[in-house]
Amino acid sequence: MAQQVIKVIKSSWVLGAIATLTIILFGGWSGTVIGWLLGTGAGFMACQGKRIPSPKVGARIGANAGLILGIWLFVASLLEGLVIRPLSGQSSLGLFQILPSGILALLVSTLAGGVIGSLQALPSPRRQQATLVTLAFILIIFPFVDQVAQTSWVATAIEILIYVILALGLNITVGYAGLLDLGYAAFFAIGAYTTGLLSSSQLNIAWNFWVVLPIAAVVAAIAGVILGAPTLRLRGDYLAIVTLGFGEIVPVIFRNLTEVRIDEPISKMFGSLFGHPEWGICLLGCDRPLNLTNGEAGINPIGRPSLPFVGTFESSNYLPWYYLILALVVFSYFMIDRLRDSRLGRSWAAIREDELAASAMGINLVKSKLLAFAMGATFSGFGGAFYAAYISAIFPTVFDFSVSVIILCMVILGGLGNMTGVILGGIIIMAADRLYLPQLAKVLKGFLSTSVLPNIPNPQLQDFIATSLDPTQMRLFLFGLTLVIMMIVRPEGLVPDATHQAELHGEGVSDQSLADARSQ
Amino acid sequence: MSKESVTPRPAFLPAHTKYGRGIQRVRQMKRWRKPLLYLVFAYIVLLIGPIAGFDLPRIVVDITRNPEILIQQLLVGLVNGAIIAIISLGYTLVYGIIELINFAHGDLYMLGAFGALTVIGAFGVQDEAPLQTAIPAMLVALIIATVLCGGINVLTERYAYRPLRNAPRLAPLISAIGVSFIFQNVGLFWGGLKSFFPSMGTNAAAPKSFPDLLPRINVLKALGIQSNINFTTKDLIVLVVAIALMVGLHLFVQKTRLGKAMRATAQNRDAALIMGIDVDRIIALTFLIGGALAGAAGLLVGLYNNTIVFTMGFTAGLRAFTAAVLGGIGNIVGAMLGGVLIGLLSSLSDQYLSSRWTDAWVFAVLVVILAFRPGGLLGENVQEKV
Repeated sequence: MAQQVIKVIKSSWVLGAIATLTIILFGGWSGTVIGWLLGTGAGFMACQGKRIPSPKVGARIGANAGLILGIWLFVASLLEGLVIRPLSGQSSLGLFQILPSGILALLVSTLAGGVIGSLQALPSPRRQQATLVTLAFILIIFPFVDQVAQTSWVATAIEILIYVILALGLNITVGYAGLLDLGYAAFFAIGAYTTGLLSSSQLNIAWNFWVVLPIAAVVAAIAGVILGAPTLRLRGDYLAIVTLGFGEIVPVIFRNLTEVRIDEPISKMFGSLFGHPEWGICLLGCDRPLNLTNGEAGINPIGRPSLPFVGTFESSNYLPWYYLILALVVFSYFMIDRLRDSRLGRSWAAIREDELAASAMGINLVKSKLLAFAMGATFSGFGGAFYAAYISAIFPTVFDFSVSVIILCMVILGGLGNMTGVILGGIIIMAADRLYLPQLAKVLKGFLSTSVLPNIPNPQLQDFIATSLDPTQMRLFLFGLTLVIMMIVRPEGLVPDATHQAELHGEGVSDQSLADARSQ
Repeated sequence: MSKESVTPRPAFLPAHTKYGRGIQRVRQMKRWRKPLLYLVFAYIVLLIGPIAGFDLPRIVVDITRNPEILIQQLLVGLVNGAIIAIISLGYTLVYGIIELINFAHGDLYMLGAFGALTVIGAFGVQDEAPLQTAIPAMLVALIIATVLCGGINVLTERYAYRPLRNAPRLAPLISAIGVSFIFQNVGLFWGGLKSFFPSMGTNAAAPKSFPDLLPRINVLKALGIQSNINFTTKDLIVLVVAIALMVGLHLFVQKTRLGKAMRATAQNRDAALIMGIDVDRIIALTFLIGGALAGAAGLLVGLYNNTIVFTMGFTAGLRAFTAAVLGGIGNIVGAMLGGVLIGLLSSLSDQYLSSRWTDAWVFAVLVVILAFRPGGLLGENVQEKV
């Protein structure tokens, strides 16, 4: 019996730990929402690789998995209400206030697992359709559930989806074509600034968002080609460094394009040689220098999209934004999926595997590589345009190197070249960064100030604990650690792509270098 | 060797590929077309350049009006370049031996500066302290910063890079980026330890002031030369220490047994192993030396600029890497040359172009060098082995 319990806990600990953490941090009805989401996931995963003869069997397997998760949730909500809340300085709840949410979480999780489990019993093509419909249903009603449960996760969900688009785009360059791009945030910035310039008072242009969106994508794609052109001869780490340099230059440019004035150089040079500065022919910004990007202060406000029945999208109402970015993600997913299987996608795979062999097979390296950069940039152009309209303001500091690395982190965590993995990586990293870390900081602060600090006599130590133990200041550390650990332990990512996995494991042992083999 | 590590440097593709034919077409362009292409390029640079401060007429006027400023900026650039050169040696040593761009090196140097500040703060010396109290503090800070950075670098190599030595080439690079982020966060954390180290100031992320300990006696005045150029003993000391470190390293690599082992390992790891060289130890030693140099550079920068901040490692690291690439990565003399050139470029850009655009100019040099002469000034372009 005890061994069985240990086995069950071991098999469900990842999802269970996430669920527990969610409840402990957020409390309230968050357990029900996370139970719904994770219960579906647990039920789906439990049915993978099993033969499911009838919906009944499937429902039983799925509900089982959901129930185990539900028990985690139930225990966690008891823990949260009775132990964590008083320790972190909030008022403790009575058992009757905790029980409803705990029991509901348990029920919802079991039900969700059962439903998805029973769908897995369908024959093959319809099974996938049913799973997709379930997924679509979850995504569509998520904002309403979120509203009812008062978890207010929609804003974070929008940010997560923005980064999912970016990660999907980077996956084209890095995962499909094998070109490591460390300056990806530059394209994001270019998309955002294009939108900012074309629909704000900066240049007195106020174009419709729906016109600007494709323009931003095209401009980003052109920037991708411009970046790609000098890097065609480079590979591996040199390419990475050039893209990094590009990624550093772009924010500097946007920061400093505040006084643009262009003179015709030859006439100006003659003018200054003969002491007649008025000879210079001025081309742009003659009366007063053009202020394109407004420097550090950024462009603010930026026009918002509007639709016939919805009206102008308001910042207080998250629903239209959520569905817009969801539509963009679905569109990008579909496009990238088709691209990967196209002739171009196959030539990317060939280039990734062996450039020389690919060119010997008649693949046009220049075209394929440039298109890889351009396609990757296109989707970040979408992301940037949406971001600019959604935040309604853009600053150069938003697009620094750490953004590129965070996106790279998502792609690597999820699995290079695998779209499901990349989406999962994006969700995990953004949820951890934007949702869990700030909330953890809040709870930890409450916990420290009520339960720990009064018991510490040493003022130095007290001061240290009060100021230095801030999880939001540890985010770079966590990203870095993710990269290092993933590279060493599981370089193919959480959901690996079959080709990449074969490359990283098993192959290539026989032709290792002598010194390398010895150092193992 | 795995197929990724066969190609140490980007190389020209053979001419029979479609891409190679494109290059040939450029080479076979009609004779008058090539200069025309360059002219058009130069015209565009002159047209767009003034936005980023590259305004030739104004620069010429500035220089003729006051040539002393030019000399002053050259001196500043020389000193800064010497510091950059020390950092870029760390990149070039590591790249030379295991072909890894050690991305974390810049942040390691930042940690060295923080270590030095902590030690000097513990000695309790303040701005312009008398030399007899400042010198022991600086010496102890030098020793601790070098040992700290060398140790961290060896540990990093052992746990973050060595397990990846057989992996595809991008794996250790990504791991190095991760380590760089970890170091940066450690710097931020360290800067927040005001309760233990009062020298860290109140705000964790804010720049820390580094005590100004080096004497400022104008060397030119002391030599009896009258001019407005300001070249103090402070500049001289930093320059001398930097040159001493570089010469020492050069002699170590060229003249000693261990240096010979390092060069052998860099040339061919397998052959070195057959000759009885402990390759792992030599690689660890390389990281130790590179880290120690980074620690020394951290102290020098602190003493020279008198302000350090936890993000300084990233930019400085990129500049140093640019310097290493400019000189020809893997080439020790090249790294020194590249460091000085980048130092000069940035100080001249600060004065004559626009200090806001200096970073862009430096990275533009990086992009241009990598795109057109990836071997660098002193390096050679290696043909791809198939």
